[in-house]
Amino acid sequence: MTPLFAFQLRRVARNRQFLFFTVLLPALFTVFFTKIFGGQVGSSAEYQSYAAGSMVSMMAYGSIGAALGATIRISFDRASGWLRQLRVTPVPQTQIVGVDIAVGALLTVPSLVVVALVGRFVNGVQLGLGAWLGLVAVLWAGSVAFVALGLLLGLSLDEKAAGGAMGLVSVVLAMLGGLWVPVEIFPESMQVLARFLPSYWYAQLGRDVAAGSAPAVMAVLALVGFTAGFAALAVLVARRRPLYAVAG
Amino acid sequence: MTSSPALGVSGLTVRYGDTTAVDSLDLSIPAGQTVALLGPNGAGKSTVVNAVLGLVPTAAGTVEVLGGRPRDAVRAGAVGAMLQHGGLPSEARVGEVLDLVRRSFPAPWPLEDLVATAGIEGLLARPVEALSGGQRQRVLLAVALAGAPPLLLLDEPTSAMDVEGRRSFWTTMRGLAARGHTIVFATHHLDEADAVADRVVVIADGRLVADGSAAQIKTGTAARTISFTAADDDPLDVLPGVTALDRRGDTVTLTTGDPETTLRALLVEGRRLPDLEVRGASLEDAVLSLTRPIGADR
Repeated sequence: MTPLFAFQLRRVARNRQFLFFTVLLPALFTVFFTKIFGGQVGSSAEYQSYAAGSMVSMMAYGSIGAALGATIRISFDRASGWLRQLRVTPVPQTQIVGVDIAVGALLTVPSLVVVALVGRFVNGVQLGLGAWLGLVAVLWAGSVAFVALGLLLGLSLDEKAAGGAMGLVSVVLAMLGGLWVPVEIFPESMQVLARFLPSYWYAQLGRDVAAGSAPAVMAVLALVGFTAGFAALAVLVARRRPLYAVAG
Repeated sequence: MTSSPALGVSGLTVRYGDTTAVDSLDLSIPAGQTVALLGPNGAGKSTVVNAVLGLVPTAAGTVEVLGGRPRDAVRAGAVGAMLQHGGLPSEARVGEVLDLVRRSFPAPWPLEDLVATAGIEGLLARPVEALSGGQRQRVLLAVALAGAPPLLLLDEPTSAMDVEGRRSFWTTMRGLAARGHTIVFATHHLDEADAVADRVVVIADGRLVADGSAAQIKTGTAARTISFTAADDDPLDVLPGVTALDRRGDTVTLTTGDPETTLRALLVEGRRLPDLEVRGASLEDAVLSLTRPIGADR
């Protein structure tokens, strides 16, 4: 654990808004949706399926918010002049980006674990131990696509635009990707649209594993493709506009 | 000790698009010197500082910092800087920032001494957002000093400070210079350059226009002022050498490029010159005459 990693982690952890939107809100949504809609289904098998689906969606929602929220902050550090100041210390520029990626990846874990615990102990979702571990593992691995997206946005946008993009992008990904309302009840055209969003495939990974099967190849390929695309764009942007470039 | 200067700049040219910000600048600064880069806003002082730190691409010329490339000197922890567009991170405490920066250097400045030197006692537990402008500048100074770097580059370091803050800042700088640090600072405050620097480098339009001690720069320009008391109907502006005439009440002040000839002309006319005073130009007069083209308006 480098001093910079500890430093960055402490800064995000201090942000109450971040914890609220990435851990508390998804956990509350899980309970809320399941208690309201899950109560209306007939059999306990149907309840299990609904409760597990809702839990997976909220794990995905929280984790996307955490991955984006942690990495988009690089834009704020540029705006404050901190990245420029760091450039005149011996800290390597690559370490700055590397640490932000690591912090983003680590901060998805609380979202995933807390929502899973709420699913298990509040909503009574029943999965085998392997499925529980597999679920958290695939959603953690898949979150790398959103770490890359957050970094891309944080490197490209200025402070104000980045703040706005954070809210807009996470709402679009959640709503149109079927994290708030299942894709199955979308009109046909919107179901097609959902397949162009990384959030749809991300939740699909989780649903497959929660159902006891291996993740669909298509979902894995889609997420790998999104990750590679976002990362490549982020590298391009960083080349054109170094970290220490003045904001604006 | 190494024989290479702390800073060696040769033929440095920096362009922003079509604008040439720094034009074939040569500058060699031996270790231990305190040097002011003086010039009006937009003269290219910040660009020189940024080029020395490797923050702007150079169009031509070389920059050597302690005998190596700027990047390598920064990575080796040999340089500390207060930048014009540098800043502190949000959601962090002053002590955490200092701790992080100190740990990145091979031989950090002992914390207690660093805090006392930068004058930030009692601020370590404070969130960055709660600092005043002057406190912020002093924390940025502590960040620049955190690695005890042999070379310090300060770009308009006192811009957010009040008079008292400024005074204590420069006292700190003199102490650092006495410890052997090489200090290069950009400023447009003539009094700062005059009071602190061993050497003043005047830059205008991206070029070096004067280089020497403050005293040398003052005497290097021929301008002198001659003042005396006279009735306000005396025709004085036709005298040889006079470049400017200023009347305040009965006091006439002539600025002249050739004081001897001007004085001789005044005395030949048999004029009485009560309260006569002949003075060398101030550093301000000298720099103005160096950086402003002759005959140009303000």
